[in-house]
This record gives sequence, structure tokens and C-alpha cells, in this order.
Amino acid sequence: MSLDYVKFTPGFEKFMPKEYRDMVDHGPFGKKTTVSQMGSFKEVMEEHPMCAGCAMTLFIRLAVIAFPNPEDTITVGTAGCGRLAISQAAIPFVYGNYGDQNGVASGLSRGLRLRFGDKPKDVVVMAGDGGTADIGFQQVVHSWFRHERFTTIMLDNEVYGNTGGQESGMTSRGAVLKMAPLGKKFDKMDMVGLAKLAGCAYVATVVPNNPRRVESVIKKAVLVAREVGSSYIQAYTSCNIEYAIPTDKVMEDAKTVENDRYAFSEYISDEAKEYLAERYGYKEYLPKPAAAVAALADKA
Amino acid sequence: MYLVADINVEICAAKSCKLCTQYCPEANTILYSDEMGKDKGFKYGSAYVAVDRCKGCAQCVWVCDNMAKNNAIKMIMIDQLPNAALTDNIIYGEKSTTVALAAPVVG
Ligand SMILES: Cc1ncc(C[n+]2csc(CCOP(=O)(O)OP(=O)(O)O)c2C)c(N)n1
Ligand code: SF4
Ligand code: SF4
Ligand code: SF4
Repeated sequence: MSLDYVKFTPGFEKFMPKEYRDMVDHGPFGKKTTVSQMGSFKEVMEEHPMCAGCAMTLFIRLAVIAFPNPEDTITVGTAGCGRLAISQAAIPFVYGNYGDQNGVASGLSRGLRLRFGDKPKDVVVMAGDGGTADIGFQQVVHSWFRHERFTTIMLDNEVYGNTGGQESGMTSRGAVLKMAPLGKKFDKMDMVGLAKLAGCAYVATVVPNNPRRVESVIKKAVLVAREVGSSYIQAYTSCNIEYAIPTDKVMEDAKTVENDRYAFSEYISDEAKEYLAERYGYKEYLPKPAAAVAALADKA
Repeated sequence: MYLVADINVEICAAKSCKLCTQYCPEANTILYSDEMGKDKGFKYGSAYVAVDRCKGCAQCVWVCDNMAKNNAIKMIMIDQLPNAALTDNIIYGEKSTTVALAAPVVG
């Protein structure tokens, strides 16, 4: 959990695989790498068995690039497709039992604070919609009500992808899936509403067809969770297998779904805005100068 | 044999938008070289595919055709590519990469 863990043990460099040497010398550790530099630095994600063209894979790839301090980050995941890729990044990954991930992350983030004090160590949970809204629901919502300081990301493919197509609480009403042949009879759960109700300090919905926006929400969510409170990102990450989306149409589908039910949204509490402005220089959240506010009031 | 993405350097280098790099689901697969195409007079370099990592989804083709509107990427059977980029031959630099192209299928 520091830059040291990606350095070579003296004398061993020549025995390391090329990918590892590239990552130490040209990876993102200790630098500020961004989405716009993609293709020119060695990413920490390595090869993994997720399906060709999977939007969840793209989202995870972008998320890992967006972590503000990858060398001081631990990811937590659970059963489901996403862990197949998250676990292949050179970032420590903790595998919670199915649905336990937010309980594990609560203990982990508290322990890291005890051990490292004010030095930021970021904990980021990434789990499927089934893992987050169904099986892990109790632990997720309780962690939010306790205002645990870590980030929860739902990889919402609106289905249990890893086990062949059962409906989840996040599946839309009427959707017909291999193992829900009659169509879902209930509405998609409002996890964003619940996150706000439980007092999350940062809540966003996003679709991976806008990589810079994904980068921006991940950065803010992780930074807010360092001090202010829980943060939640709900990302539409289609399952092209279970929804039979041709792989070259995955981004077209993301656009359609964005227009239909996944418009970009972002909620930031006042405290989180102030913190982002003061600590991390987010000028857009600086309080408006008193004179400008008075002038606006005059005009009204 | 199977399909992989192939980027036409001359078409890409005329635009060089890097969009495909940001939309490929696979990490370290579409890379960027400032040098590619310079010998043909292009200024900004080109994207290229490390074909040993490409899963053949063709998402990059859609992105280049529809978002970049540049039609620089085609899917090609890997044994039809005389030369291509492979992870082993990629050299990372400060702000860009360079690559020696080699036959992707031997024998
Ligand atoms: C306690 C437990 N119950 C059931 C499973 C089987 N299981 C593995 S993945 C999965 C579904 C995953 O669905 P979701 O969380 O939506 O993630 P996705 O695969 O769609 O990304 C299930 C039921 C398990 N691993 N552990
Ligand atoms: S089953 Fe679906 S969500 Fe899982 S890796 Fe394949 S396309 Fe992605
Ligand atoms: S999207 Fe097309 S034009 Fe843009 S970098 Fe990729 S290949 Fe080149
Ligand atoms: S075909 Fe898919 S995996 Fe291959 S380079 Fe294009 S986007 Fe990446």
C-alpha cells in the first residue's frame, strides 16, 4: 500500500515479465495519469477472462485509471463478472463473500484509518447489481446509514450476468431474460434515491460512453469518501451476452439506455462541495463571492 | 483463425483523435505512437492495436466510424496481417510509445 510495493526487489528486475517492468517504469503509480493520456502509459489492468466487448470491462478499465492515488487504493469486490477484471489489476483486491463486500469494506476502511491516520488510503467497492441491490442490500444500505467513508460502485448490467441471466432488483420492469422468461413484474429499484436518503455525500449515475465523465465522477467520489462520508456511483455497464447486444453496438446501446433511463446525474452535499473546493481545488464548488450573490438577488 | 482490429495508419494519422483508445474495453490494447506516419508527412502520429490482446469485439470500429467519423479501423483475420504490433515489441516512452511490427502468426 505504497509506492514501495510496485518497485523491484534489487537484483530481480531482469527476472520480471515485460508487462511488470513496463508497469513499474511507465505505469500510473505516483503520477497523475488521466483518461486523455490513455494509450501512452502502461495501465495497471492486465489480461482477464471477461467477454469480448463487455461494457463493464470498459468501465472498470476507466475507473482504475481514474483512481486519484492507485498506489494507495484497495478494491473490494464479490461474486459476479466484474471481479474477473478487477482482480487482474496491480491494485490490492479483497474478495468479499457474495454480498459481504460493504461489510468487509467498512472494517477495512476503519482499520486503515487506525493504522495510517490522516494519510489517505482509499477503499473502493465494485460489485454487480445483484451483489449490491439484492444479496448485499442490507450491508450496502447499512454502511451508507453509518456514513462509512468509502466508495460503492454498482456495475449495473441489469441482470445476474455471471450465472446466466436471472433478473435482479435493478432489471427493468418487463425485461425478459433467459432465466426470467415471463418478464420482470416489478420496477427497477431506486438505489440512487436510497443512497441520498441514507445520507451519502456524493451520488452519481453514469454510462461508460463518456470516458471523461466516468473519470470525473470516480475522482470526486473517491476524494469525498476520504473525509466527508459515503459515496455511491451507479454505472450502466451492459451485459452484451444476456441482453444479446452485438459487440460492435454496445456503445450505441449505452446511448439509447442513457436517453431512456440512465441520464447523467450527480448529487453532492454542501459539505462535500466545500471540501472538494478547499482541499482539491474544484473551483466550480467555491462559494459564490458575496457581491455576486447580492447582485443576483438584486436582479431577481 | 479469428478477427482482430487493424488501424490504417494513413487514415488515422490524418485525424489522430485517440477516441478508440478510450473506448476499447481491453487495457493496453489500442496504443498510440507519436512517430507512426511521420515518415509519410503526418504530424500527429497514429493509434495501433496490440493484436495479441485484441478480443475482436469491433467496438473500436464503431467508435472510429460513428464518433470520429474517420473509418480508419477494419476487422481482419489475424493471419491476413503480414505485420502487426505485439505486446512484446512495444516500448513505452515519456508521452508516447513506439513499436516494431512483426508477423503475428508464425508458422
Ligand atoms: C452466497 C452465494 N450465492 C450465490 C452465488 C452464485 N453467484 C455467483 S455470481 C452471481 C450473480 C452475480 O450477479 P451480479 O451481482 O448482478 O453481477 P454480474 O455477474 O451481473 O456482474 C451469483 C448468484 C455465490 N457465488 N455466492
Ligand atoms: S456475461 Fe455479460 S457482464 Fe459478464 S463479462 Fe460477459 S458480457 Fe460482461
Ligand atoms: S478513432 Fe479512428 S481516427 Fe481516432 S485515433 Fe482511433 S483510429 Fe485514429
Ligand atoms: S476489436 Fe475490441 S478488443 Fe480489439 S482493439 Fe477494437 S475495441 Fe479493442
